[in-house]
Amino acid sequence: MATLPDGRTLPGKLIIVEGIDGSGKSTQLDLLRKWLIGEGYCVAFSEWNSSDIVRKVTRRGKKKELLTPLSFSLIHAADFSDRLERQMLPALKAGAIVLADRYVYTAFARDVARGLDRGYVRELYSFAIRPTIAFYFRVSLDESLKRILTGRPQLKYYEAGLDLDLSDDPYESFRLFQGMILEEYDAMVDEFDLTVIDATAPLLEQQDEVRKIVDPYLTNVLSAEHSAWREVLSQEGLHGRYLDSILPEQTEL
Amino acid sequence: MNPRKIENNQRAYYGYDLLARQAGKLNGRLIVLEGTDGVGRSSQIALLREWLENEGYAVATSGLKRSKLAGKGLSDAMGGHTLGDTTMNLLYATDFADRLEREILPALRAGFIMLTDRYIYSIIARALVRGTDPMWLRSVFSFALVPDIVFYLEADVPTLVSRVLSARGFDYWESGLDFMPGRDYYENFVGYQRRLIAQFDALADEYVFHRIDANRSMHDVFCDLKGAICEIIADMKPANAGEPEGCGDPGEPGEEPQQVEETGGDEAT
Repeated sequence: MATLPDGRTLPGKLIIVEGIDGSGKSTQLDLLRKWLIGEGYCVAFSEWNSSDIVRKVTRRGKKKELLTPLSFSLIHAADFSDRLERQMLPALKAGAIVLADRYVYTAFARDVARGLDRGYVRELYSFAIRPTIAFYFRVSLDESLKRILTGRPQLKYYEAGLDLDLSDDPYESFRLFQGMILEEYDAMVDEFDLTVIDATAPLLEQQDEVRKIVDPYLTNVLSAEHSAWREVLSQEGLHGRYLDSILPEQTEL
Repeated sequence: MNPRKIENNQRAYYGYDLLARQAGKLNGRLIVLEGTDGVGRSSQIALLREWLENEGYAVATSGLKRSKLAGKGLSDAMGGHTLGDTTMNLLYATDFADRLEREILPALRAGFIMLTDRYIYSIIARALVRGTDPMWLRSVFSFALVPDIVFYLEADVPTLVSRVLSARGFDYWESGLDFMPGRDYYENFVGYQRRLIAQFDALADEYVFHRIDANRSMHDVFCDLKGAICEIIADMKPANAGEPEGCGDPGEPGEEPQQVEETGGDEAT
């Protein structure tokens, strides 16, 4: 059950994934999403830092390196609130499953690693809905760095925590920053009752475990007809050559 | 409800002193003008700035929605009328934090007199009118520096109506059309500004505003502001080292500091 801050429950189910970069959480969420859609459930999806209006400000701040730990925290809270108000809350009220790639725990981990007060950040996000299940894909720092830094990709300024002056070397800075974030995540497992998944296990084993945990919650969920055109095409012997232009909208939920 | 204040470096913050360490020692003065729409804040700031600069002080100004980071984003969002209340509040908070950290605190550190057109109180008042949780609002803005003085320019709704009409006419947000019932600009302006004034009155007691009757002429209001500011800056040295004009006898150093006069709200009409 997804729960509002005032204790009221919503008919929908809010399932979120958390973990440091390279934990494989987005892959797992994507697999879960495909499975749920295949089972005929109505599934909505929301991704960290993806609100259109707010993202313009964030992008500007990142590009010009204007963001401080405080304004970084506030603008991400604005992004979260916009998605909560427009994507997640309406879907949960309607009884759908909402999948969120990163949730408030990302802010709790990153903002505190950036030096903000733990209490302040928690109060800032006190309007958030409590998830039905919060998965935490736990992986060691070394393993995540191995996954991410193979091939020495270009690291972005804030992603590498370069705003914190931990080190002049982006890779060293990234290592130190990720380590601080990992510590915050680990400390939150008990505080927020996160469901820990061993992110070093084989991909499909992890997915099996995730589905087993999700399955009991799949009662009274709004259903949706997915890819209804498939049935028409096969029954009527059509090819659907004029469906191309509209299909992306239909598959995107 | 009293704002919990945290003292740091001889300066007070409204709760979490997230910025106190980086702020360091602040030698300037933070002077805030608050009040509803059409009350004449920006004209007074322009006049005060000129007066203070003529007296040899270094003056900087700031105002809502003017941050480099979020100012444009906020204006775009208001233009589109599409964001929810919590998101708007957080965008205002982002704009405010950016200006506090990158304009206001550095100017105060450098010894400027910082005149700001609205501070957290306007943001809090507009949010309270729209039904936002007061506790949440106070904690979001708890990193704010407590100003040296907050002037509350208060005017009756009929005064506001005539000033707004003769200046530029009613505006979507100033009429509260995002949440007020009906589409009537005039009715909603009156209703919305009344509610705002009620919130400002409550905030004035909570945060100890210095009330100024803004139903009077611009010149009368300016003279009141000047008088109170003189006390706030009495121990600052202007560049040309004279006493600011119109400040009168500042009193001997070591004398008890004069109390800033508090005018009761009922007497303000």
